Amino acid sequence: MKFSAKRKLAFAAAAAVAALGCSNLALADTPSWCGPKQATLALLDGYGGNSWRQVTTASGKEEALKCPSITKYEYADGQGDTQKSISDIKAMAAKGIDALVVFPDAGPAMLPAITSVYKSGKVIVPYRVEAGGKPGVNYNKFIGTDFKNDGINWANWIKGVLPNGGNLLFLSGPAGNSQGLDELAGLKSVLGPEYKFLNPEPFDVTNWDPALTQKVLTAEIAKNPKIDVIVSDFGPSLVGALPLFEKSGRSIPALATSDGNSLGCFWTDHHKNNPDFKLFTVSTENDNVRLAVQWAVAAATGGTPPTEEIFKGPVFENSVTGQPNPVQCRSDLPGAIYLSAQLPAEKQAAAVNSK
Amino acid sequence: MDLTGDTATALPDARLFLLPRAKSFLTVVISTVVLVLACLLFAPSSVTWGALSGSLPFAAIIAIVGLGQLLVVQQGGFDLSLAGGVSLAVVISTHYPQGDNALLLPAVLMAVACAILAGLVNGVLVSLFRLNAIVATIGVNALLYGAVFAVSGGVPKTTTTLLAAIAGGQTAGLPNAVYFALATLVVFSFVSKKTVAGRRFEAIGDNPLAARSAGLRVRHHQLLAYVYAQLLYCMAGVLVAGITREPTAFQGNSLLLPSVAVVVLGGTSLLGGRGFPVSTVIAAFFLNQLSQFALAVGVPYSAQTIIQALALGFGIGVYSVRWTANLFKQTKPTLKGGNNEVLG
Repeated sequence: MKFSAKRKLAFAAAAAVAALGCSNLALADTPSWCGPKQATLALLDGYGGNSWRQVTTASGKEEALKCPSITKYEYADGQGDTQKSISDIKAMAAKGIDALVVFPDAGPAMLPAITSVYKSGKVIVPYRVEAGGKPGVNYNKFIGTDFKNDGINWANWIKGVLPNGGNLLFLSGPAGNSQGLDELAGLKSVLGPEYKFLNPEPFDVTNWDPALTQKVLTAEIAKNPKIDVIVSDFGPSLVGALPLFEKSGRSIPALATSDGNSLGCFWTDHHKNNPDFKLFTVSTENDNVRLAVQWAVAAATGGTPPTEEIFKGPVFENSVTGQPNPVQCRSDLPGAIYLSAQLPAEKQAAAVNSK
Repeated sequence: MDLTGDTATALPDARLFLLPRAKSFLTVVISTVVLVLACLLFAPSSVTWGALSGSLPFAAIIAIVGLGQLLVVQQGGFDLSLAGGVSLAVVISTHYPQGDNALLLPAVLMAVACAILAGLVNGVLVSLFRLNAIVATIGVNALLYGAVFAVSGGVPKTTTTLLAAIAGGQTAGLPNAVYFALATLVVFSFVSKKTVAGRRFEAIGDNPLAARSAGLRVRHHQLLAYVYAQLLYCMAGVLVAGITREPTAFQGNSLLLPSVAVVVLGGTSLLGGRGFPVSTVIAAFFLNQLSQFALAVGVPYSAQTIIQALALGFGIGVYSVRWTANLFKQTKPTLKGGNNEVLG
C-alpha cells in the first residue's frame, strides 16, 4: 500500500494529536465553559411531569457532568405548583448549592425568588420561559429560545412544498402563550397573503393536550374541505387526531411541526396511503437546557461562557428532501422520546421509563 | 317533585309539560334540539357526519363519567376523585402493556382492581366514617394521583394498537365508544329503575332516614355507589387511552367539571334522590356538541369560552329556574292582595 504525501502528513498530525490528548486526557475532555473552581449545581423544573421534561432533565444532567469541577448535581420538580417552585429555589440556595438553572414555568411570579437568590451571591440562570427582569440585576443570564426562528423554518419549507400559496391551520398550546405568538410572527414574516390561515386568530388553542387537539382538529376538518398544511408546535399531540383525515376519506395534509418518535413512526406507517402527507420537523429543543447549564457552570466555576446567548432549535427532519435528516422512527423505543435531542435514544428511553 | 306540585296547581294547563317524569328529560331534549338547530344555522360543519364521528367518542366519555358521578350524587354525595380515577386507568392501561397487545387484558383487570379499591376507600370514608364526601374524595384523589405518578412518572405512553382499535374504532358506522356508553346507560337504567336493589338505591338517596326506618341497608348502598362510580371512571379512562393514542397522565382533570355539569343538566338534584340517566347521557351529548359548536363557528378562543358558558347557563337555567312558578308566585299574591307581607 502506498500513501500519498498528504495522507502521511494527516497520519502524522493525527498521531501527534492523539499523543497530546493521551498525555493530558482530563484537560482535553474538559469543555471551555468548565472552569477550575469546584461548584455544585441544581436544575429546578417548574413542572417535571412529562417526557419532554424528563429527557430535558437527563440532558441537563449529562451536560453538567461533562465538567469535572461540578461536584454535585441536584434536581427538584415544582410539580406545576408555583409556591413549591419558589420554595424549591430558596431551599436549594439555603442548602448551599452554588449554581441554579431554573425553568420558571410560572413566569414573572418566579422573579422575586430568582432575584433574592441572585442577590445572595449565587449563580442563577433561568431558561426558556421569560420571567422578566434583567441580567446582572435579577439573574446572571436568561437563555431564551428563538421560537420565531422555528416559525421561519416552517414557513420556508411551506413555501417550498406549496409555492402558489394554500390553506394553513396553525395549532399551539394554551390561549395567548408567547411561544405560539412568536412562532406566528416567524410564519407571517415569510408567508404572504396567498397563504390563508384557517384558524381563528392567532392560533387554535389546544393546551398541548392530545384529547383537546383531537376535538379541535375534528371541528376544523369538518369545517374546511381544503387544508393544505397543518403547523403545530407540538407534533406528537397530533398523532391521535391525524387519522380523522383518513376516516373522512381525505389524505393527511403536509405537516410542519416539532419532532417526536411517535410522530416519526406515524409518518412511516401512514405516508404511503396519504399522498399529501409530507413531514417537516424542527427539533423539540431539549438541548436548550444544555446551553443554560453551560452558562451557569461557566459563571460558577470560572470558565469561559459560550458564545451563543439564545437557543436556536435546528431543523431536524424533512420527508421531501431528506435534508438534514429523513424522517426517523425507532419503533423499538417509546413514542415519547425525541430523536432530535443530543442525548442518545436509549438513554432517553431509560429516562422516560425510569418510573 | 314537590316543586312540580305547586307549579301544577299554579298552572293546571301546563300540567302535561311539567309532569315530574318528563320535565328534566324534556328540558334537556329541547336544549339539545335548540343547540342542533343553532349548529345547522351557524356552524353546519359541526353536525356533518365526519365531525360527529370524531366528536361522539368524547361525548361518550363524558356520558360514562357523568353516569358515575350521577350514582354518587344520587346518594347526596360528590365524587372529586373522578380525575384521579380516570387518570389512573389511563396510565395503567398504557404503561403496563408498553405497547404489547397481549398484556392489555391484565392491564385492564389491574385498572379495575384499583378502581374497586379506590371506590371502597371512598365509600368506607363517606358511609361508615361519615366524612364529608368532598373532603374524603379530595383525599382519595390525591392518593390516586400518587399512584398515577408511581405508575407513569407523569409521562404519557402510546396506546397499544389493540386498545386503539377497540376504543377508537367504529362498528356499523358508529364509534365504538358510543356503544360502550349506550350499554352502560341500558344497564344503569334497567338496574336502577327495574330491580329491587335499584329502587332501594334511589329511595335511600331520596331520604336516608326514612329508608333506614324502613329497614334498608343505607350505608351499604351508599358505599357501593362509590365503587360503581369508580368502575365507570375506570371504563372511561381505558376508553380515553384508546381514543387519544398518546394520552397524558392527567387526562381525567378535564372531565371532572363536565361530569358534574351533565348530572345537573340532566335534572338530578345535588341533594340526592332520583336519578335521570337518560337525560344525563343526552346532556353529555349537549355539552360536547356545545364545544364543537363553539369551535366550528371559528370565533377567537375567548369568545368560544363565553359561548360555552352562556349556553351552559341557559341549559341549566331552563331546568333549575322555576320560570312558571316564579312568574305565578309574583303575580298571584298581587291578585289576592297578598303582597302586604312584602310591603309590611
